[in-house]
Amino acid sequence: MPALVDVQGLVKHFPGERALLGLGRPRAVVRAVDDVSFAIAPGETLGLVGESGCGKSTVGRAILRLIEPDAGRVTIDGQDVVALGARPLRALRRRMQIVFQDPYGSLNPRMTVRQMLAEPLAIHRIASGADAQRRIAALLEEVGLDPSFAQSYAHELSGGQRQRVGIARALSVEPHFLVLDEPVSALDVSIQAQVLNLLAELQRGRRLTYLFIAHDLAVVRHIADHVAVMYLGKIVERAPAPALYAGPRHPYTTSLLSAVPVPDPKAQRQRIVLAGDVPSPAHPPPGCPFHPRCPHPKKDARCRTEPPALREVAPGQLAACHFAEQPL
Amino acid sequence: MTEPLLRVRDLQTYFVTEQGSGTARAVDGVSFEVQPGETLGIVGESGCGKTVTSLSILRLIPEPPGHIRPGSVIEFEGRNLLTLEPRELRAIRGNQIAMIFQEPMTSLNPVFTVGDQIAEAAIVHQGLSRRVARTRAIDMLRLVGIADPEERVDHYPHQMSGGMRQRVMIGMALVCHPKLLIADEPTTALDVTIQAQILELLDRLQAELGMAVMLITHDLGVVAGSADRVAVMYAGQVVEQAPTAALFARPLHPYTEGLLASVPRLDAPPAREHGRLHSIPGQVPAATAWPDGCRFHPRCPYAWERCRAEMPPLLDAGGGAEPGTHTVRCWLLTEPRRRTPHP
Repeated sequence: MPALVDVQGLVKHFPGERALLGLGRPRAVVRAVDDVSFAIAPGETLGLVGESGCGKSTVGRAILRLIEPDAGRVTIDGQDVVALGARPLRALRRRMQIVFQDPYGSLNPRMTVRQMLAEPLAIHRIASGADAQRRIAALLEEVGLDPSFAQSYAHELSGGQRQRVGIARALSVEPHFLVLDEPVSALDVSIQAQVLNLLAELQRGRRLTYLFIAHDLAVVRHIADHVAVMYLGKIVERAPAPALYAGPRHPYTTSLLSAVPVPDPKAQRQRIVLAGDVPSPAHPPPGCPFHPRCPHPKKDARCRTEPPALREVAPGQLAACHFAEQPL
Repeated sequence: MTEPLLRVRDLQTYFVTEQGSGTARAVDGVSFEVQPGETLGIVGESGCGKTVTSLSILRLIPEPPGHIRPGSVIEFEGRNLLTLEPRELRAIRGNQIAMIFQEPMTSLNPVFTVGDQIAEAAIVHQGLSRRVARTRAIDMLRLVGIADPEERVDHYPHQMSGGMRQRVMIGMALVCHPKLLIADEPTTALDVTIQAQILELLDRLQAELGMAVMLITHDLGVVAGSADRVAVMYAGQVVEQAPTAALFARPLHPYTEGLLASVPRLDAPPAREHGRLHSIPGQVPAATAWPDGCRFHPRCPYAWERCRAEMPPLLDAGGGAEPGTHTVRCWLLTEPRRRTPHP
């Protein structure tokens, strides 16, 4: 089946700002996204995982052109997103939407839920008047909210309810593809499970395709068909979810998995505690970007000088590590 | 059992809300003890009262709008902190009881070097000279695993990463060798690989320094790995308290049970293979309007008339070496056969 979303060689660099009120020397370029490629089949979910600053949110925004990518090709629903002019891009926005992490900051505090949901319907000339009201009531019900919430303002809602409104707003234009940027990270555990279940139901019911961006590998495991792990702007491992969780090939994936706390005091796990912090994406280390923190016993001079290519090391499983055949 | 280091009995911390919409009973009759050298995990979701509990222990509740109600007892080594003079309290706070907060970004003062901030407590509480205190600050930076402490001591917080700032916070808290460290969500703002570093550091320091730790978190995984005993809070109350192994092996309060089942886990098959993640219906009620009876009853799959009418006390679940080891605030303990979910 052809992919619904196809991303090839995506690059986004942010220019370094000049220090000293714009008069000093310009700082180094931040390579937020550095040659990222993936594809998502219709109705499937790709989990994009990594720590703060790895570039995962920038990927999500760049493929929707909420920020302009510097290079690369993005195809959604057969259309080349990067080449589109303003008008066709706006039309394509009906097909691709985003749900943000912060349900407090992403809803307009001065609009009622009804106004927030009516706006996209009006902009895309989908519905107005009584038809719009009917659609809004149906949308609220679909995301598990009583239609009476249409009168509410964001501050009257709990975090979980706000996130449901954010999802309803994204769904209002009947998109095929949703970027979900940390959609449950700000929610309590019991509410997080409710929203994850809702997202899974909506995906089945509407045959949606998801890019699910998250830092929590345990959450991603429950929703993703494929997983891509990012480190310093690059994908270091990409695989079908069961393969990645059962047998990670990149030492960074292995370390991330081992660092997730497991709610079982009897769990006898070998925890790999990585030394140091993530280096700045303005000054990525030469060679393999992970080499300064890498716990792999075979790490050698090659890791410090030669960047490993992302290559297939098992059927469908790609890893960017010189020692992917001898995983940790 | 030895004399507890900290004994909290029937703590009630209330807030008068602005619009006069009532009194928020944020902490409403909480009791627990912390033994010397042990780690007590306090677990709960937003709004359950876990942070207000810890701030009450240090008497850091802003008054007004908050107040700790008469009848509440917080004893540290046998002295009631709630009746101490401000001067006596200051001799304990930051010295024998120290606290680290969730936000390492905002809990450090941006205009002082980290060395000055670590040294301050040693100068105030132990009367060290500036020079000796500076040496002590360097020692603390080394203790918490910061490379080049002699150089880092003169750095400002903005020159450090989130993980390093949290290490500095821990260094500040431990400079006077406290007997009790209150750690409020110490790793929540950190990435998972940095969280692992900080948890390992806390474990090591606790073993080296022999202090007790109150670890406040929403993350059951963090508690499972670090705590000796756990108190689960819901709606301003402790609803279950048990040794860590017993709590995870035999969660008895329906809230604990539901919470454990809702956590997406790496060590179990993913939910999408058999449909849905377990979730607790509804949401935490507002502190100005706790439900009557058992406060969890509107979300509880087992609730019956008694739960709606009558608040259950903490009941002994047995199974421990002595009575009161595992306690649960749930009427199911009196009628265990009702533990079958409603269809």
